[in-house]
Amino acid sequence: MDPSEVEFLAEKETVKVIPNFSLDKIYLIGGDLGPFNPGLPVDVPVWLALNLKQRQKCRIVPPEWMDADKLEEIREQERKEDAFSPVPSCHYMELTKLLLNHAADDIPRADEIRTLVKDIWDTRIAKLRLSADRFVGQQEAHARLDNLTLMEINTTRDFLLDSLNSMHKLRANLQPGKSQDY
Amino acid sequence: MFCEKAVELVRELHRMSDGQLPAFNEDGIRQVLEEMKALYEQNQSDVNEAKTEGKSELIPSIKFRHCCLLRNQRCITAYLYDRLLRIRALRWEYGSVLPTTIRFHMCAEEVEWFNQYKKSLASYMRSLGGEEGLDITQDMKPPKSLYIEVRCLKDHGEFEIDDGTVILLKKNSQHFLPRWKCEQLIRQGVLEHVIS
Amino acid sequence: MDTRSYMPVPPGVGTEENVFSLDDILLSQERLPCRTESVFPGLGFVDKSSDSRHIPEGTKMEIPLWLAKGLYERKRRVISVELPRVYREGWRTVFGADANVVDLHTMGPYYYGLGSQMLHFDSPENSEIAQCVLQTFIGRFRRTMDSSQNAYNEDTSVLVEKLDCLERALFRAGQSGLNAFQLWEKGLASHLTASSLVTNYRKRKLADLQA
Repeated sequence: MDPSEVEFLAEKETVKVIPNFSLDKIYLIGGDLGPFNPGLPVDVPVWLALNLKQRQKCRIVPPEWMDADKLEEIREQERKEDAFSPVPSCHYMELTKLLLNHAADDIPRADEIRTLVKDIWDTRIAKLRLSADRFVGQQEAHARLDNLTLMEINTTRDFLLDSLNSMHKLRANLQPGKSQDY
Repeated sequence: MFCEKAVELVRELHRMSDGQLPAFNEDGIRQVLEEMKALYEQNQSDVNEAKTEGKSELIPSIKFRHCCLLRNQRCITAYLYDRLLRIRALRWEYGSVLPTTIRFHMCAEEVEWFNQYKKSLASYMRSLGGEEGLDITQDMKPPKSLYIEVRCLKDHGEFEIDDGTVILLKKNSQHFLPRWKCEQLIRQGVLEHVIS
Repeated sequence: MDTRSYMPVPPGVGTEENVFSLDDILLSQERLPCRTESVFPGLGFVDKSSDSRHIPEGTKMEIPLWLAKGLYERKRRVISVELPRVYREGWRTVFGADANVVDLHTMGPYYYGLGSQMLHFDSPENSEIAQCVLQTFIGRFRRTMDSSQNAYNEDTSVLVEKLDCLERALFRAGQSGLNAFQLWEKGLASHLTASSLVTNYRKRKLADLQA
């Protein structure tokens, strides 16, 4: 998958916005949107929130976890544990980028949040590599990938799958088979 | 040694690992086929001799040539097959009309195959999504907006957009156009996607 | 990163070759030291070092892997195949000590592929070879992974220099994942770009014109 496709999936997550306009409920295949009333918070998909924001039709309320203090705790937790800690959103990386790029003025301490999320990401990727190496080194047959997000898996998927496939074939060499090629 | 020419064909493609299509090596193919004919004829006569005169000492050489025949066959089929994979990719990268320089690199059968592929892809796309069909070669990346800003990298002449307006794509001119109309031209290097 | 429409047939890796894989065809072109165990009448011209009409029994010559595989038979032995140096005990000890120091490109470049293919010839050392090839892969895995996932926007030729063909392919897979992610981070993932096929084709044409 291309990361832009992962981001596309993330845009289906919902986020709270406070609109500055009125509009009746809209009925769409993907679900109903609205109704919109000035000053009244309403849940909408991220793609719509960003579109409204760009046209200055709303203010975005950052998700609860997108908070410098909470993220700092998560970062410490992540650094302490060997295993992957649960993340506040399975699209934390994409949502952080989308919301900070388009609505930084609605999010307090935006720069700190950016750095914290990047730290969390880096810590997790380092763990992912460490566990991949251990997995290969000990010739394990299965691994638990609990709490990993799609974007994290996606950055290393091709490499990891190709490597494991190769290793599997080299291991199969230990049990002699039969074949004939020209 | 036998089969050198056949491997040369394979190397020729392997060197262009990005998928470019080199000129069809008709001469190379012909030489391989000639070698195969010679190998086959020599083996026929050795097999006859081995049978009628009981000369089993010929068998190792028969086998040797037989391996070479199979090797040549493998190289040629791999050469032709890999070229088809490249030609199929051209449809996705360039669209249904190929630049003449690339068409010149295909043999008659390959041009025919490309046309057939084009047709089956088109009829498949027509069968999708109701009346109008669906162009699955568009929106290879999830679109962020319906319209995008583009700059012309070369003179391309007149260009009609959805509502029937005709605009002139002149080198260095900048336009705000429906994304789906531009995607192909961007891939072909005629337009450049400008992001602010 | 742009989507690639051309996907070549992948190599088989291990004991099975993929018939249509260009990589495997070139792998099976690797030459092996052999000894003839029978006369090959009328094929003397194949062995350039002699001008006899036949290849006599007991001739030592190098033949490509595909031919060795084709001629090799347990029952009716017409050739015997020797192990290339890199799979013999001496080198196996070196790999066992530290697989990371070996330049597998110069020693290979199809170290894993050829090693797996050698198992077709019943050598008494087969199980040691298979074990060594696997352990070498495992021992070098961390380095292949780290270099492919850390190097961004730098000249990677030094990094891949000592990698065998299989490792290089893995390196490229890692790099394209990394590049795609970095591009996304910079906000360029939704940027539409010209097909690399088109741009490379132009570059080549330009180079041809200048030559």
